[in-house]
Amino acid sequence: MFTRTDDRITTSQAVVFLTNTVLGAGILTMPRSVTQTTETPDSWLTIFIGGAVILPVILLLVKLSQQFPGQTVFQYAGRIAGKLPGKAICMLLVVYFLVIAGFEIRTLAEVTLFFLLEGTPMWAIVLPFIWLGAYLVGGGINSIARVNQIVFPISMLVLFVSFGVSLRLFDINNLRPVLGEGLLPVFAGLKSSILVYTGCEVILTLVAYMEHPRQAVKAMIGGITIMLAVYLVTIIVVVGGMSVDSVITSTWPTIDLIRSFEVTGFFVERLEFPLMVIWLMQMFCNFCSFFFQSSLGVSQIFNVSYQPVIYGLLPVLFLSTMAPKSLNDLFHLGDAIGMMGIGLFLLVPVLLSLIWLVRVKGLKQHV
Amino acid sequence: MLSSVIDYIPGWNVWTQAILAFLIPILASKIYKKMYAITGKGKKPDTADSKKAETLLEPSGAPFSGDYEADIQVIRDRIGGNSDLIFREIRMEKTNVRAALFYVAGMHNDRVLDLHLMEFLMFEAGSDTINEPGRIRDRLPFSCLLEASDLNSFNRSVMFGHIGLMIEGELGGLLIEYPNGANRSVQEPLSEALLRGPRLGFTEVLSENTSMLRRQGFSDQLEIKTQKVGTRLRKDLALAYIKDIVNPDLLEEVSARIGKMDFDFIAESGYVEQLIEDNYLSPFQQVQNTERPDRAIAALLEGRIAILLDGTPFVLIVPSTFSMLLQSPEDYYERWLPGSLLRMLRFLAAFLALMAPALYISFISFHPGLIPTELAMSIIETRQGVPFPSLIEVLILEVSIEILREAGIRLPKPVGPAMGIVGGLIIGDAAVQAGIVSPFLVIVVAVTAISSFSIPIYSAGLSLRLLRFVGMLFAAFLGMYGTILFFLLLCSHLTKLKSFGVPYLTPVSPFRLRDWKDLFFRAPLALMKRRPAMTKTQDDKRKS
Amino acid sequence: MYRRCGRSLLVLAISILLVPLAGCWSSNEIEDLALSTGLAMDKGQPAPVEKELEGKGSTYAKRNRVMVTIQVAPIKSKGNQGKDQSGKQSAYMNVSGSGDSIFEIFRQFSIRLDRPVIGHHLKVVVISVDLLRKQSIEQITDFLLRDNNIRPSTLVYLSDGPARETLISKMPGEVPSFHIAGMHRNQSRTSKVLDPVTLTKLDSLTHSRKSFVLQTLVTGGGEIQLSGAGIINGSTGRFIGSLNQEDTESLNWLIGGGDAGPIKAYDRNGQPITYELLSMKSKITPRTEGEQISFKVGIETEGRLIETWDEQAHPTTNEYAEELEEQFEEKLQEKMQNLLRKLQTKYKTDVAGFGQRLAIEKPAVWRKVKDDWDRTFSRSQVTITCKVKITDFGSFTEK
Repeated sequence: MFTRTDDRITTSQAVVFLTNTVLGAGILTMPRSVTQTTETPDSWLTIFIGGAVILPVILLLVKLSQQFPGQTVFQYAGRIAGKLPGKAICMLLVVYFLVIAGFEIRTLAEVTLFFLLEGTPMWAIVLPFIWLGAYLVGGGINSIARVNQIVFPISMLVLFVSFGVSLRLFDINNLRPVLGEGLLPVFAGLKSSILVYTGCEVILTLVAYMEHPRQAVKAMIGGITIMLAVYLVTIIVVVGGMSVDSVITSTWPTIDLIRSFEVTGFFVERLEFPLMVIWLMQMFCNFCSFFFQSSLGVSQIFNVSYQPVIYGLLPVLFLSTMAPKSLNDLFHLGDAIGMMGIGLFLLVPVLLSLIWLVRVKGLKQHV
Repeated sequence: MLSSVIDYIPGWNVWTQAILAFLIPILASKIYKKMYAITGKGKKPDTADSKKAETLLEPSGAPFSGDYEADIQVIRDRIGGNSDLIFREIRMEKTNVRAALFYVAGMHNDRVLDLHLMEFLMFEAGSDTINEPGRIRDRLPFSCLLEASDLNSFNRSVMFGHIGLMIEGELGGLLIEYPNGANRSVQEPLSEALLRGPRLGFTEVLSENTSMLRRQGFSDQLEIKTQKVGTRLRKDLALAYIKDIVNPDLLEEVSARIGKMDFDFIAESGYVEQLIEDNYLSPFQQVQNTERPDRAIAALLEGRIAILLDGTPFVLIVPSTFSMLLQSPEDYYERWLPGSLLRMLRFLAAFLALMAPALYISFISFHPGLIPTELAMSIIETRQGVPFPSLIEVLILEVSIEILREAGIRLPKPVGPAMGIVGGLIIGDAAVQAGIVSPFLVIVVAVTAISSFSIPIYSAGLSLRLLRFVGMLFAAFLGMYGTILFFLLLCSHLTKLKSFGVPYLTPVSPFRLRDWKDLFFRAPLALMKRRPAMTKTQDDKRKS
Repeated sequence: MYRRCGRSLLVLAISILLVPLAGCWSSNEIEDLALSTGLAMDKGQPAPVEKELEGKGSTYAKRNRVMVTIQVAPIKSKGNQGKDQSGKQSAYMNVSGSGDSIFEIFRQFSIRLDRPVIGHHLKVVVISVDLLRKQSIEQITDFLLRDNNIRPSTLVYLSDGPARETLISKMPGEVPSFHIAGMHRNQSRTSKVLDPVTLTKLDSLTHSRKSFVLQTLVTGGGEIQLSGAGIINGSTGRFIGSLNQEDTESLNWLIGGGDAGPIKAYDRNGQPITYELLSMKSKITPRTEGEQISFKVGIETEGRLIETWDEQAHPTTNEYAEELEEQFEEKLQEKMQNLLRKLQTKYKTDVAGFGQRLAIEKPAVWRKVKDDWDRTFSRSQVTITCKVKITDFGSFTEK
């Protein structure tokens, strides 16, 4: 067929989709949140181990979804766990996605207000952003995946150029000694390093939309690996450039690193400008992904059509954005989201897989 | 616990904003849908109505009665009122049969008319030619000889420029010779000038245009199908494609859309474009137009379809994508390195043409902290005494530049460019002297204007000019953040847009690495082994 | 239906037009802002203008613990600024005020100036050592680190005299803060210029509670000079003393920061001979024997003989080079010993990164001593070996 009517995404789109979903606010705050718990320059090791921990999780998510080709978690949860419990679990997932979406926009609004638009009311920043998101999400997963595909290479290019230029501040001594305090702080920071991977639950719906679901394992692991690489580079460059002590005291360490130097003679002397640009675009993709997941969830759980759900979720998103009262609240919310993520992981994929295993392998039922 | 939860319930103003967050997009989408419905009315409805319209198109005219006198009387009654219609009755010498010629003054070469037609009819045409019924067509020595089925079509053809011939004792009228009105000679395409490459441009005559396409090379696969469009004044429209390359589904889609056009007169191919495009409200053109036969044939070889309309030198090419707007045939004629360089330059120029004023506004009015210190100092110094905020300042200069440009097109050729330069230079300089705008802005606006000139397709430049003003408003509203929102809005819109089923942003997204060799770069010809993936051609090898 | 649609379109159009009018909350034209390019902090006393204003009763509740001077540039020049005129008038303006909250003082400036001051383009912060004797550096830089306008790339300097005098220049058209900000470029010429310390770096230094040095500025005759460095004690954040130019140079070589500049010695005839550094490597190796910590410092340099006043100078031979090398090594050793004596016995602080080396190479030992490192350092033994290699004699040869 010349005109495609099915809403499927290619493997490369799936990779970028996953990367963009997880790569959000964390890129600005992660160096601080991880370093605060480790308090040694070994935080990059923590990120690395965190990535290794998250890999089996990803595998489990993909494998579970592959058992139900073409179906999202919102559709197959009911088949595994029974209609009502399935719906309840899915509602939890939807709420989780909505909270993350609100959290991401709020972070964006806070950063924008602090660095770019001091004095603008918060709603003036949040509302256009949500509306724009609704416009894109209305186009379905394909449109979102395509925007991701445009934004991702640009943001990676700019991010790595900014990091490359910031190497002038890089001092390898800031990253030494390796394991000077032993392994203990590394594992102490593990919790916060797993938190930066929150959002990978989207795999549960993403696999259903893949053109070639068989490549899902490769795609998802690819996505997580890209992210791991970005996080690793970020933390190494930021800690190496600013030293542990400075990272801990900085609210947005990545921006502060880029603000710590000026590239004289370059047209864009202050690289925080391109950094902010790509970060805002990245946040848009990130937000749209969660927005899409939650509208999809609502429409599939309650069997209502997709478009009106988008409009219906707008005020909910807005309220969840405006709920935190201060930046501290916001960071607490971020931690809470991480804990929710772990809880949901135990509840959704682990529980579902167990039930599925019992029913299929144990009771020989056909699910 | 409860009190801390209650603590987090936002105040009434947040609730109001939440309701606004809900209502405004609904209102906006309603308005959008309504506007779409209104602008989308160029199409005929798909349902049974179409048949009715079909009958309306072809009013079954009165058939020829076979009675020479009566038929002539009917014809003269119907179109005889035109003072430029010439009616000439003759008597054939050899058979003593009457014949009547109808033609419109000025449409024919008199020599041909006198020498060949009249002479043949009056003195040479014998009884063997005429008397055998049904064989007239074979015996008359004219290459173009048509038979009119009924009086109405006979009349229309005569008025369009055919020579009508009625012979006593014959049923029906004959139409001889092609219409031959006043024409322009073949010229270099005005809107797509090139340094290197053929200088040939399409003209207003369909048959000449199709012949130009044919003459691009020997092939029996280049198929051109003609049909009539327009409900009142009918016109020829031709679809050209290469039979063993084009995707049949695409061809079907294009013919279907053309069949659905419902307009009394298709004046220019722009009408066709607006009636068959996918999204009527998009600022981007989803159909490419060109004056160049080489460009058209290159597109055909990529599996696209060309739509030629009689009476216009602009040929439409579908499907078209965003990247095509920034390509020029010269990219392929020059060697690949300079070709690639020029192409990347054009991408940069398009970006500047779109974004430069928006960036200026956001830097000047919102983010003085993001520009280099030295630059900030000199901007402050030069902007002392400029009484307007940057948005107004930019609008003043941008609007005057746009007016200048518009005026430059209207003026006669020798005056136009001179006025552009004089107007631009003098107004810019005087505005700076008068303290209305800052010199820095003049640079920005000049760069923007020059950039938008470098876009090879004029209508694409128009879209960018339009969007530039939208971008400026976004920037004036939210600074850098607004500019980014604007960019994201464009991206979102472009990813949703399709041209005849081909995503508009192919090959950037959906990502088709195979087509990237002809995007920012123009890969060496040796690498262009296959046709673009986006058109899903039947035969995708360009090289053996 | 058309009419209704038209009406809603009109509403939409009006609201779209209204948004930018009602909006633009953060919009501020750049020419209506004043850029503060430099900031000087002195010990608290009312500035002359302030004194006069306060004399007329214009005052507010405060204690004079710090005096802040900001440099505003460019100042508004009215009317048509002809090209020849602009050179004559001063390009900047300094405003001073005192109080006990830097932010409050900043806002106090706002009732004296015609344009809001923004800190995005702040280039240098100069702190007088007198102020640092009374207040800790953490107290007075707290605002600078929190503020969202001021970039962490701002450079921090100390000033021997009143800091506000460093922001005054005699040269017309020159903005002194840019002059100061550009001075570190001379690092390629002399090692007396330390690596510039940005606010980010200062933040990590103060937060880690290590002692460190900041380059000191001295003014005289309307000119500014970088003259040595001031030592800030890590645990108190106060200024405890200064290193002179030569010690600063030695320190720079010791920490591996400088690889330029001359070493001047006197040869047997008492004539000056000068060596130009082309490269300089230093390596600090910590050693532990039981409780005792000692350091071995190896300094290696390559360079050329650039100048000699000795008329009986020996020709360009290896023997002569070796002889000179010895003399320069001696000189370098002497300079280093001078520096170490000052650090270990006079100030009893480690500003040369000995602690950091120990932390990197022997983290276990470091953990035990880090709380009282400055004292431990002053007791530890440091041995220095210097190696000078003359690679060439410039473009002038003698036989």
